[in-house]
Amino acid sequence: MSASTPFQQRVAAAVADKRVVRAVHLATLKKVEAREAGMDQLRDFEQIRSLAAQVKQHTLDYLPRYLEQFVEQIEGRGGAVHFAPDAEAARRIICDIATSRGLKRVVKSKSMTSEEIHLNQALEAVGLRPVETDLGEFIVQIDHDTPSHIVTPIIHKDRRQIALAMQRELGCEYTEDPTELTMIARRHLREIFRNCDLGISGVNFGVAETGTLCICTNEGNGRLTVSRPRVHVALMGIEKVIPRMRDLPVFLKLLARSSTGQPLTVYTTLISGPKRLQDADGPEELHVVLMDAGRSDIWAGEFREVLRCIRCGACLNACPVYRNIGGHAYGSVYPGPIGALLTPLLHPAGGHEELPRASSLCGACGVACPVKIDIPDLLVRLRAQTHRSHPLAKRVAMRMWLWAMKSPLVFRLGQRLLRGLLKDGGDGWATDGPGPLRAWTQPRDLPIPPKRSFRAIWQAELSNEDKRG
Amino acid sequence: MTVALFVTCVSDTFCPRVGEAVVRVLRHCGCDVRFPARQTCCGQPAYNSGFHSEAAELARRMIAIFEPYEYVVTPSASCAMMVRQHYPQLLADEPGWRKAADRLAAKTYEFTSFLREVPEFDVSANLRFNEAVTFHYPCHAREFYSARDLEALLSRVPGVDLRTPRPVDLCCGFGGIFAVDHAEISGAMMGDKLESLSQTGAGLVICDEGGCALNLAGGAHRRGTSLRFRHIAECLAESLGLMEAEE
Amino acid sequence: MNLQDFLSSLTKRGGGDRERTPLPDDLESAVRQVDGNVDLIGVFAASAEAAGARVRRTSGADWLTAIAGILGDLDATRICTQAAEVGFLSRARSAELSEHLRDSGMTVSTDTGDDELFSADASITGVSAAIAETGTVVCESGPNAARGASLIPPVHVAVVGAAQIIPDLCDYFEQLPGGPELPANVNLITGPSKTADIEGTLVTGVHGPGKLFIVVVATAS
Repeated sequence: MSASTPFQQRVAAAVADKRVVRAVHLATLKKVEAREAGMDQLRDFEQIRSLAAQVKQHTLDYLPRYLEQFVEQIEGRGGAVHFAPDAEAARRIICDIATSRGLKRVVKSKSMTSEEIHLNQALEAVGLRPVETDLGEFIVQIDHDTPSHIVTPIIHKDRRQIALAMQRELGCEYTEDPTELTMIARRHLREIFRNCDLGISGVNFGVAETGTLCICTNEGNGRLTVSRPRVHVALMGIEKVIPRMRDLPVFLKLLARSSTGQPLTVYTTLISGPKRLQDADGPEELHVVLMDAGRSDIWAGEFREVLRCIRCGACLNACPVYRNIGGHAYGSVYPGPIGALLTPLLHPAGGHEELPRASSLCGACGVACPVKIDIPDLLVRLRAQTHRSHPLAKRVAMRMWLWAMKSPLVFRLGQRLLRGLLKDGGDGWATDGPGPLRAWTQPRDLPIPPKRSFRAIWQAELSNEDKRG
Repeated sequence: MTVALFVTCVSDTFCPRVGEAVVRVLRHCGCDVRFPARQTCCGQPAYNSGFHSEAAELARRMIAIFEPYEYVVTPSASCAMMVRQHYPQLLADEPGWRKAADRLAAKTYEFTSFLREVPEFDVSANLRFNEAVTFHYPCHAREFYSARDLEALLSRVPGVDLRTPRPVDLCCGFGGIFAVDHAEISGAMMGDKLESLSQTGAGLVICDEGGCALNLAGGAHRRGTSLRFRHIAECLAESLGLMEAEE
Repeated sequence: MNLQDFLSSLTKRGGGDRERTPLPDDLESAVRQVDGNVDLIGVFAASAEAAGARVRRTSGADWLTAIAGILGDLDATRICTQAAEVGFLSRARSAELSEHLRDSGMTVSTDTGDDELFSADASITGVSAAIAETGTVVCESGPNAARGASLIPPVHVAVVGAAQIIPDLCDYFEQLPGGPELPANVNLITGPSKTADIEGTLVTGVHGPGKLFIVVVATAS
């Protein structure tokens, strides 16, 4: 039990970092309120959530069929589809597209899937220097940091850190003004956009019926990434497909509201094939990289509904654990409640058993999820799969506890034993518990149990009293 | 009607007064209250930790103990949820037990929900507070009522000075064994909760969950915060003159 | 790797006798927020303003002066317009608009090449549709309808014919063609470019236009 895992060490450091904890508290609580206000605008958001869950679950239940249709449609529109069974294949495909065409100036819009496969490192290894263009991701990149939230990558950073990074890396005047900082980034990235030749994006939804990629963004860098360069590569997990165009509004009405409270993101971009012959501008080539990378394993097992996730970040914002440890403590690209599921499921041998255990199971995530993934229930199911990995001492303790709970006599003895073991600080409270209770008394005290337990009171008095009225 | 009290291991040990209050209020409402003495724990600590065969052993035991009674009432939303939601899941592959689990699930109630659903009894009208009051909404009450339901119930108490905490449904960080295995996170969450309760300015916190109360009261004591935590059953028993107010 | 090999990691395992969820048939009755029985222009204007766009409601007589006024207030002198016929902006109206702006002393280009777009003070486009529920204007790519026109200049003026306003987001997706007529690039634009990445502070114009003006023209029928 006391074995300190790397996760617990990261947690200890994270909880102690008051600056980050404060920043994450402020940001997430604000987003929780924005989400609630956004949902309240809808006539019947519970009904829309149910439909969204149903459409996604349906798509997953017929996934091969919809993927075939999706691929056929993209190809029919002149796009190319590449198949990546794992992360390595996805990296190789994308690097090959770049190198075989001599594409050098690479821009990226925010994509969690590309973070998942560490695409930037792979591109750098073949001599390319991809530029992250989402403001948050751009700051992460120039500050050699990693994102700590799937929607708000620099939720952990304050303006001072951002100002220092911009000054150091871009050689600009030091300013902490968010508008000025944003405009410095705009000017810097504008020139890069003007001259780029490869754009890499993620995908929010892939419409099987038409082979359309739907990308939801607020800044406009996503639009620039998919329209400026000669070649557009879209990296997409196989779970992102939905059946029909008319299913899209169900998700669009929930996605931005769940993320930021907006009714829609500023830009909802639908891409159906590369530039048409007569089009004024746009990429000549469209490549869609369909990636599995562990998803089919999740799909085939009991956690399929996890793949409904639309990466809105609502569960992170709602989670009191995330709020107190931030995203980096999870040690994974996907933090928060959904990350505590996705990370161990995508990397079963990765030693992530502790992630699903680090939850009070309060259920705030499940309430916030726009596609009704029963996150608390799935966390418990994951715990059940890995309970044998607990240290022996804990497993023995569990058996002893069970034995005690099966016998009222032993249970009563246990109650007395506990009373005997606790050291009364003089006011009826113990401040330093014995054995496993030491962890309990780390942040809080433990009351000394009253001399008479309920069952004792019942036997002595309550059972004999007449009904009173 | 005959009601079996499922007092829960936490209340039995640490806050027997809650059990006593439940008994007195139910008797006041005309219930014939029994206490099956062989009861211990519902098994939730094992269940939540992923030890499901162990939890199933306790589930079968509990089902057998409570089988004879018309209703089962518990002062804990969390333990009620365990019985109602997870027992049928745990025993899904054992048809006989599954049926018995469904029967127990159907007749098991969290205390406040029981008062609202079964006998003709207006909880709000029978409560009195002589000071400002706030509340902790136990997360596992989601199965039975929302934080807004609890807020509405308390706001209808005659003359009440109700201070709603923000966020209204923040977790206290207890989470059973989580509080011990991840004491740092749990402690930080508890700090947030105590902060939000303190900010209401109320000294009395209605807290209908033994585990949450143990956690929050322990935190308040460690920090020297003057918050007092009471189960709604205790408040009702006092308001109805069934129990002396605690010092 | 080909498609069938790729899918074999799914098809081989099949999902067994797992119960499959049906596709819900009726989405619209739950999803629709706005129907046709409301003041569509009013709802549209309120939603667009809430998203940070600025809406001018004009008549067939004063739309030209309204646009010139917007641009004049911004001291915009280099203006890009589209050669394409999009929505309300027919060829004739576009010509009329260009002439009016030139008369107001502005430089107007219908070329949407990089040099023009990157140096323009503002662009003016027609829209394919406008959505009342969300205050969205829709720009579709096409011949002479550049993706960059509504994206690159710092100010975007979208001209909407009042009859183009449809009630709900689902109405737009319901009418989108599925075949080859589906444009390669469609943008649903809801407000100006935004970010709140730095400490949650809202900043507009991070990459796309920082100002979005929507001129709604109600022509006498």
